[in-house]
Amino acid sequence: MTPAPLRTDQLFVNLGPQHPSTHGVLRVGLTLEGEVIMRAEPDIGYLHRGTEKLSEIRGWNQLVALSDRWDYCNAMGNNLAYCLAAEKLLTVEVPERAQHLRAVMCELNRIASHLIFFGTFGIDIGAFTPFLHAFREREMLLDLFESCTGARLTYNYIRIGGVMRDLPKGWPDLCREFLEFFKPRLQEYDTLLSFNPIFLDRTKTVGHISRESALNWGVSGPNLRASGVKADVRKLDPYCLYAKYDFEIPVGKTGCCWDRYYCRMLEIKESVRIVEQALGLLADGPVMAKGVAKILKPAPGESYGHVEAARGDLGVHLISDGNTAPYRLHVRAPSFMNLQILQELLVGQRMSDVIAILGSIDIVLGEVDR
Amino acid sequence: MRYFQTVLNACADIGKGLWITLRTMVKPAITVQYPDEKLVPYPGFRGVLLYDAEICISCSLCVKACPSECIQLESRKNEAGKRVPKVSWYSLDVGKCNFCRLCEEACPTKPKAVWHSRDFEAVFSSREEMVRYWRKGTEYPGQWYDPVTRTYKPVAGQVSLQTVPERILY
Repeated sequence: MTPAPLRTDQLFVNLGPQHPSTHGVLRVGLTLEGEVIMRAEPDIGYLHRGTEKLSEIRGWNQLVALSDRWDYCNAMGNNLAYCLAAEKLLTVEVPERAQHLRAVMCELNRIASHLIFFGTFGIDIGAFTPFLHAFREREMLLDLFESCTGARLTYNYIRIGGVMRDLPKGWPDLCREFLEFFKPRLQEYDTLLSFNPIFLDRTKTVGHISRESALNWGVSGPNLRASGVKADVRKLDPYCLYAKYDFEIPVGKTGCCWDRYYCRMLEIKESVRIVEQALGLLADGPVMAKGVAKILKPAPGESYGHVEAARGDLGVHLISDGNTAPYRLHVRAPSFMNLQILQELLVGQRMSDVIAILGSIDIVLGEVDR
Repeated sequence: MRYFQTVLNACADIGKGLWITLRTMVKPAITVQYPDEKLVPYPGFRGVLLYDAEICISCSLCVKACPSECIQLESRKNEAGKRVPKVSWYSLDVGKCNFCRLCEEACPTKPKAVWHSRDFEAVFSSREEMVRYWRKGTEYPGQWYDPVTRTYKPVAGQVSLQTVPERILY
């Protein structure tokens, strides 16, 4: 006769809101049975700043400065998404040089953002050295941004009708120099972390997102591509001059944590290629469209602009009623959508894998809460 | 046997990672010993805002351009009670400032009356100190108004990188 199985009492555990691996202020309520997770509820809103409401008061030009603060790791993408939507309303034609500059900046910013992911994901798993390597390279990128835009994190560089100012003298050469320095570093990252058997053991077996559930939950960006869906706004709905550049979309196979990680690593390579091509195509010309007023009053109407930000499909929906401020601004934040899949993904996983899964989804809480 | 193979492989890969760490260790450090050494920001860096009351024509375009409403000003009035293009006082709240350069771009004077310095070491010990006032007769880099003693005081604790109020012309 076998004894009846012991029943374990369920235990409720708070992960966060102050936890180094939550990448901000996120609280996840975990219901555990032993070590297995039965329920997971992400609790968001700790970083809510009311940007969407605020934009009903602020002027069209001032909102670019506020859009920096949504996803602060990828501020250029935010600026671009908002400006694309506003330019559709205003029917402004952006000069070609400005288009290339936008692409250069967005891709460099994507590299910077993925480097943060690379470093912090390593820390989450327990590898500290990759973080230092990633931030050494990111520092050079930030220096490039600083010399061009004047800021290191919240650039406010891409404006309605173009970009803030032209490149300083010799900037393209500095950028090429950085790219040459950066390319061999990617192999170094692979040796350090990507193919380390301990890292592989911890990430290859957990956090599988199937193709169907990724599509059902509205996941976008590298998280979706890791599940094998070849979806990228840069290819599906090209903005700027992305149709002119030659680049691949890396996709994963199984949708495990490692696939999501490696997708981003491959994306960095593609971004480097895009920056090189865009720098080669830079021709002299104006960087700002003519006739963009300081105080804008677009005709009543609606517009939607979306870009492939570092974390996924970032969309901005604008409604104008002909005033100096938008009637409504809605942000389709990729991090917000990606975070929701945690409810399904964490169930059945072990407590020790929560951090690996949370880190691999790569959320920025500033964008989740806005 | 396979178990030992796995252990050996893992050790070899740890060794690979450590080899990179070791190679980096012998390279010279790239960090800057901050309080002793300081990096100078690039021209066009958006640091703490500065203001020149002599150039300002008190058009309040910067007030309208600011997304965080950190600028306030009042025009001077002559004997007849009419406003003249000079400021009576001008205040900047560094605590509210976004460092977005919209005010500098909106400024119509040449050179700009309000501009971003390259000073990144804005350190304050109280909220009052973050608000800086410019009045006739006060000096760069602005003073803060102490509501308790009702006097204007210089901003303490702030070391300015930029002794000359440099600005880009564009």
